Parts: sequence; C-alpha cells; structure tokens
Amino acid sequence: MSPTAPYGREIRIRIGGPAGFGIKAAGQSLARVFARAGYHTFDLTEYPSLIKGGHNTYHLRVSEEEIFSHVMATDILVALDAATVGLHVDELTHGGAIIFDPGDVAQADLDLRGRDDLCLVPVPLTDIVYEVGGIKIMRNVISLGAVLGHMDFPLDGLLDSLRSQFAHKSPQVAEQNVAAATRGWEHAQEAHCDFPFHLAPLTDRPPMILADGNESVALGALAAGIGLYAAYPMTPATSVLHFMAKNADEAGVVVKHTEDEIAAINMCIGAAFGGTRAMCATAGGGFSLMVEAFGFAGVSESPIVVGLFTRPGPATGLPTWTEQSDLRFAIHASQGEFPRVILAPGDHAEAIELTWKAFNLADQLQTPVIVLGDSYLSDNRQTQPMPDFSEVIVDRGDLQTTGEVTDYERYVVTPSGVSPRVVPGVVGAQQIVNSYEHDAHGWASEDAANRIAQNSKRLRKERLAATLVPAPQHFGPKDASVSIILFGTTKMPAREAMKWLEAEGVSVNMLQLTTVWPFPAREVKNFMDRATRTLLIEGNATGQLEGLIREHCLREVGHHLNRFDGRPFSPEQIYANVHCILGACVNLTTAGALPDNEGGR
Amino acid sequence: MPEVKEFVTPIKPTWCPGCGNFGMWEALKRALAELGWQKHEFSVVWGIGCHGNGADFLDVQGMHALHGRALPPATALRLTRPDLHVIVEMGDGDGYGLGMGHFIHTVRRNADITVIAHDNQIYGLTTGQASPTTDHLMPTVSTPSGVLEEPVNPIGLALAEGATFVARGFAGDIPHLTQLYVKALSHKGFALVDVMQPCVTWNKLNTFSWFRDRVYKLEDEGWDASDRVKAFELSLSSFRNLTCTPEECRVPIGVFYEEAGVATYEDGVPAAQVPGWQHASGPRDVSAIAAKLG
Repeated sequence: MSPTAPYGREIRIRIGGPAGFGIKAAGQSLARVFARAGYHTFDLTEYPSLIKGGHNTYHLRVSEEEIFSHVMATDILVALDAATVGLHVDELTHGGAIIFDPGDVAQADLDLRGRDDLCLVPVPLTDIVYEVGGIKIMRNVISLGAVLGHMDFPLDGLLDSLRSQFAHKSPQVAEQNVAAATRGWEHAQEAHCDFPFHLAPLTDRPPMILADGNESVALGALAAGIGLYAAYPMTPATSVLHFMAKNADEAGVVVKHTEDEIAAINMCIGAAFGGTRAMCATAGGGFSLMVEAFGFAGVSESPIVVGLFTRPGPATGLPTWTEQSDLRFAIHASQGEFPRVILAPGDHAEAIELTWKAFNLADQLQTPVIVLGDSYLSDNRQTQPMPDFSEVIVDRGDLQTTGEVTDYERYVVTPSGVSPRVVPGVVGAQQIVNSYEHDAHGWASEDAANRIAQNSKRLRKERLAATLVPAPQHFGPKDASVSIILFGTTKMPAREAMKWLEAEGVSVNMLQLTTVWPFPAREVKNFMDRATRTLLIEGNATGQLEGLIREHCLREVGHHLNRFDGRPFSPEQIYANVHCILGACVNLTTAGALPDNEGGR
Repeated sequence: MPEVKEFVTPIKPTWCPGCGNFGMWEALKRALAELGWQKHEFSVVWGIGCHGNGADFLDVQGMHALHGRALPPATALRLTRPDLHVIVEMGDGDGYGLGMGHFIHTVRRNADITVIAHDNQIYGLTTGQASPTTDHLMPTVSTPSGVLEEPVNPIGLALAEGATFVARGFAGDIPHLTQLYVKALSHKGFALVDVMQPCVTWNKLNTFSWFRDRVYKLEDEGWDASDRVKAFELSLSSFRNLTCTPEECRVPIGVFYEEAGVATYEDGVPAAQVPGWQHASGPRDVSAIAAKLG
C-alpha cells in the first residue's frame, strides 16, 4: 500500500457532527498544532446557516509539501455523532480510521456501507468527559488527542495550544482540557491499528501564518494604510469586520458597524472625500444594497475599495456556501457607465497582495475597486509564508492633503481622465464632489457638451486602468494538452489537480485572471490561440466568464466545467475532468473523492 | 474671514421665486460669516431634493451626496477629519423618508455634526407628492384622497434617540434662524435644526402666512431647554393638522433642548483623533498583527 500517491505525503482529517459541538474551533486548534510543527495545512469548513443542529464538518489537510487546496479524501474521520459515519465513509482512504464514541453507537452498528478495510478506533468521549470532570463540549478536545494518538504524533503541541487557548479562563478549565486530550491520545494509542501515515514535527521550516481569506484581505487593507472600515455583518464577509475591530486601536483604523450596507459604502465615500483610505466588504445581498452608492463613487471619482465575497444567490440564497456567480453583477453593478476595477484573488497570499494593490488602483484612478472573493476564500484557512510587508507600496495617485491651491477645479478634464484631487481642509479647495453630472468645478450641469466631456474623461480612466492592473497569471508549460482558463478561487483546486496531472505526465497549463475588469481580452485571446484544448472552469451555472470571453475575445472555449451546488470545485473533480477531455474518464465516488487513493489509479 | 457675499457662487439659484430655501441659504451664509469660519475649516454635505440644489449656490468644500444618504458620508468625514466642522443639509423626503434609518442612527451616535433639515412637508423636485412630514389627510398628487399616515415628528424622534441639540427654525425669520444656526454650529455633538421651509409651488397649505399666524419663539416664553421630557411633550403637542386654527395649533420655534458636555462618538475612537489620510502616508507595518495568526 502506498500512502504517497496521488496526494503526496500527507494526512486528511475530517471532524463531523451537529452544530454547537465546537467542531470548527477544535479543527482550527488541530490546524494550528500542525502549522506550528512546520506543516502546510488547508482546511475546509462546511456548515449550514444554523447555530445548533444540522451537520457540520471541518476537513483538514496536512502535508509536508506545499498544497494548494482541500481534497475530498479523508484518512481519519472523527464522528462526534453516529450519522457522521454514514455520510462520510465513502471518502475514507483504504486503511483509513474512524474515531467514534461507542457511547453514541455500538461498533457493530456503525454504518460502514460495506467497507471492511477500515480501522475502527473507539474512544469513549462522553465517559472521559465525566472522568475528568469536564463539560460535554470537551468531547471535541478528547477527539483531537485521539487523532494525534492514532497518528503517533506528539501531544505536547496540542497541550500547549490548549493551555494558551484557555489561559483567560481558570487554570482548572485549562487542566481539564489537557487531561481530556491526554486521555483521548492514550485511548487511540491502545487501538493498535496498522495506520500507514506517521508524521513527526518538522524542523528548520520558515515561519508561516495560518489565515483565512478574510484575515488575508484585512491584512492587505491594513498594510495599505486603511483609515476607515465600515460594514454590516453578512456571511461570508463578516469576520473582516471582527478582525478589523479587534485590531482597530493598535493599527489606528476607524471601524464602524453601520446600520446597513448602504450606510457602510456611503461612509467609505465620505471618508474618501476627506482623503482617507476606506473599505467596506459584504456578500452579494449587501452589495445589492450598495449598488447605487457604488455608482456615486464612480461619478464622483471617489477612490473606495469594496470587498464582494460571493455566496450562492439570489437573495438570501445559501448563506454559508460558495459560488462564483457575482462576476457579471460586479462588472455591471449600478446604472450608467463609469470605470471600475475588479480584482479576483485566487488564494490567501493573493488576497493580501491584491487588496493592498486595490487601494493604490483606487487612488491612482479615483474610482471604485472591487476585491471579488467568495466563501471558499473567506472561510478557509491556508498556511502561507509570513508575508513580506516591506514589498507593500502606497501610491496615492494625484492627491494633495495639505497646503493651498488657487483656481482649483476638482474635475478638470485631462488626457488621462484623472484630475488632481485636493481634499477639504486645503486652503482654496472649494469644490462639490457630486453625485449629479457636474462641470469641472463640481457644480451640477446638464449641458450636453459638458456631459460628453466629463463622461468621456471618466471613461478614459478605464484605458489607464488596463495599463495599471495586475496581469493574468500563467501556470504550467507554454504548450499543453489541456489549457485551463479560470478566475478567482478556483485557482486553488486547479493548481492542485495540475500537480497530480503533471506527476502523471499529462501536460496542463492554466491562465488565471487576477483582474477580471478591465477584461484582459488580449491575454485570453493569445492563450486560447496557442491552446490545443481549452477548458473553462467557473463556479456558476450560466457560464459568466465564458460569455465574457465570447464578447471580448470572439472565441469559443472547447470545454467547460461549471459548478453551482454551493460546494467549491475539488481538485479530484478537475483532475477527472481533464482525463475525461483526453478520452479517459475517471469515476469519482459519491463523495467526490477518487475511488482509490492509494496510487492504483 | 469670508463675508456673507463671499459664500455665493457664480450660479444663480434655481429655486422658485419666494421659496423658503432662499431664507435658509441667507441665514446659513450669515451664520458662517458671524462664526468667522474659513472655507477650509468646514465641509457641507447635501442630500438630493430642492434643498440639494443649494450645493451649487454656496461656495464651500462640499459634497452633493445621494438622495437620503447625506448623513453616512458626513459622519465618516467627521470621524476621519477631526480638523473639519461638518454640516449636513437634507430635505424632509430625503432625510426623514429614504434616509430615516440613517437619521435615527446618526442621532444616537452624537457625532459632532450639525444637521439642517429643509422641511417643506412636500416633495418639491419630483412635483408635489406627500412627504413624511406632510400633514395628515392633506391631498397631494400621490395621495389624492389625503395622506392616511400621521406625519413624522423629527423633533420627537431626535429627542427620543438622545440628541444633544434639537431646534426648530422658520425660513421666514432669517435673523432668528441665523442665531439658531450659530448655536447649532457651535454645539459640540449632534445638532438638529428642523426648519419650516414653505414650498410656494406644491404646498398650498403650510404657506408663509400659515406659519406666520402660528409660530412663536420659545425664548420669548422663557422656555427651559434643559428638560428632555418637557421638550418631548412639546414636540408632541406641536404636531400640525389640516383643520387647526392658529389658536389651536401654535408652532414653537427655537431651541427645544440643549445639553452640553456629552461625549461625542469620535471621543471614543482613538483612530479618529488625526486626519485619516495620515494613516496612509506610507505602508503600515502589520507584521506584529500577522504574527498573531498561526
């Protein structure tokens, strides 16, 4: 049995159970233990929009090598209730383990769907809780000890993590948790299954951070010198507000939880008027409310950054799941015509970089910039090397914040379309930053010639934008059997699938659109024209990027892979699809995992 | 220091002859001149409506925002620019209709901004529909059989939400209105001046003469502006309705309530003590914050 292919040397752990069982918190503790031990991790939290009940899972991938996304396979399944077993047994790899509480379900009654190759690890979670005098939610901590015990992974990292996690509570609570984890570890050690994966802490690894997409976006904004963050809570963007609020005083940011999203974006425009870098973030529903003000930012030439993190719509939709269906919405949001920039980070490191760059583009172009993400980015944590913040550049464009001006005209017509921006407080900077069409001074004007001059001036900035925005990213060889085109977070599973395909000698390359607007038509056209077979992958039902390519490049993609069930693309799905295009389809299990993860493909 | 006439732009006002906005425009220019504010020391944010057209007639460093949305950008400007006074001009349809949510929440924040409401009890720019402050049962083009709702009580709402300066003015008494503006602009914290501003074209009921027959000055009657509950009672009793005679419904103008020394919103925000652009004079070092992740 080979534990190395196709995934490499790694372990996948899934914790499942009802909401309210501390599943995500437990999973994230485990991720921290491995990240601190030098491993790369990627986690995927799947949860219904509930506070209690339903079925929640946390999937953690731990690897010695760099990894790009989650995978569908699981090596250790932690079942905090009996139902978890039946729901996930199909994704267990050969020889995989199930950690369960015999108090929940007798071993003979486990819903194994006919599997007889699994390692069953009974750990009396509830009994241990009583044994250590704890409370029921501690079952999650016991199961973490059991996971490490099953892998023969040292327990001290987890114990350190628990002690610091509960430092603010009484020492008794911390020690109960330590005792609980230890008992879980010991129980799993007794199980004596032949488990093939044994990871040990790594040494001499560079320092890494473990951030989700929202934290990454927030880091980028903080680095860029944000002065005001305004938002109304909406999944999946909410935790940007938490992170900003937590760090507001240390970093020096005005953070405002507003009465609604309309207030949030209008506050950004007011702050921008005063020369402050400002951002708001929301999901599609909140952005729907922001749309009028988004156009106000356009016509008033106000530099603001808007985070639009997609969840499946329309309306309330699937609040806690993911999709890439707001691409056209972002491009077309608001009435009238005005320039905008839309950046779509493909992973966590890009979320930091594209967010600080978004602030520069907003200032340079004096127009709104969208950072387009989704739940897959927002919610999930990935290790990344400690970002090098010395690379951050603050470029405020043509901006004057002090001193004096004479004969100032806020909207003077220029060849580039960008007018010198002078903020209030500067002597002589009389102006009206206006939501009406306006003349050079900013006074409302319905004059036809002025309308043409001002509208054309603004739209010229889109040409300038095309020269300033980040270019699409190329991955893989110049020539390949299959050429993938995508935008945003689908980059993550696609890069993972490319790694597996490359290992098999299947040549695949990829064009990732980091800027989706202005649309990089020339780069897409060039990429398609030298491709043998093109495969477009996007997380929506109607083929929004495919349509944009048709519109802007006059090209048809050869194959497309769409997904709109709320779940992110898995690398397995992309891997299988590429094989299918090449005439050798691979069947996936019902859970979406490759049927045989031991290298027998 | 700018004189009254220096606040005028080259653009000739487009308001109807006799419009109440003229009086409000004049009173604001006089108040600014009296306070001696330089044009770079304050900013004005307008909403959309007849009042908003005033953005073209007052020579300032200002913003003409969206309909109903003047308060959020003004609040943010105040929170990010401690060096600027911030004035909001909004309409009754604008600020008490579409923008009512912002109004309530802005009041309770007590940010140091002065809000001047051009309350003509009608939609002027969109040609005469009922506004949130139109009198009960008054017929309009959108309510031919009369408005079935009770009018909004802006003074009462502001008092209920903890406003620290609440006044009512009358556009037909420019010297009195000027002094109300001076007081409101000098107040530290949220200040509302709801100004009865007759619309000579669309509101044939609440005319200048209708108000002249009914207004009285609170200060003339020795009003104690330090009692919030009494001020609230007064706001309730001074609701107007279609059939009342001047004896039945007197309309008080002046300061209903004033409270000094209350902490403003920005007092509680450490980052709000310096102009926001100073935060972006270069990249912020966030390594320490990043290092906590992991």
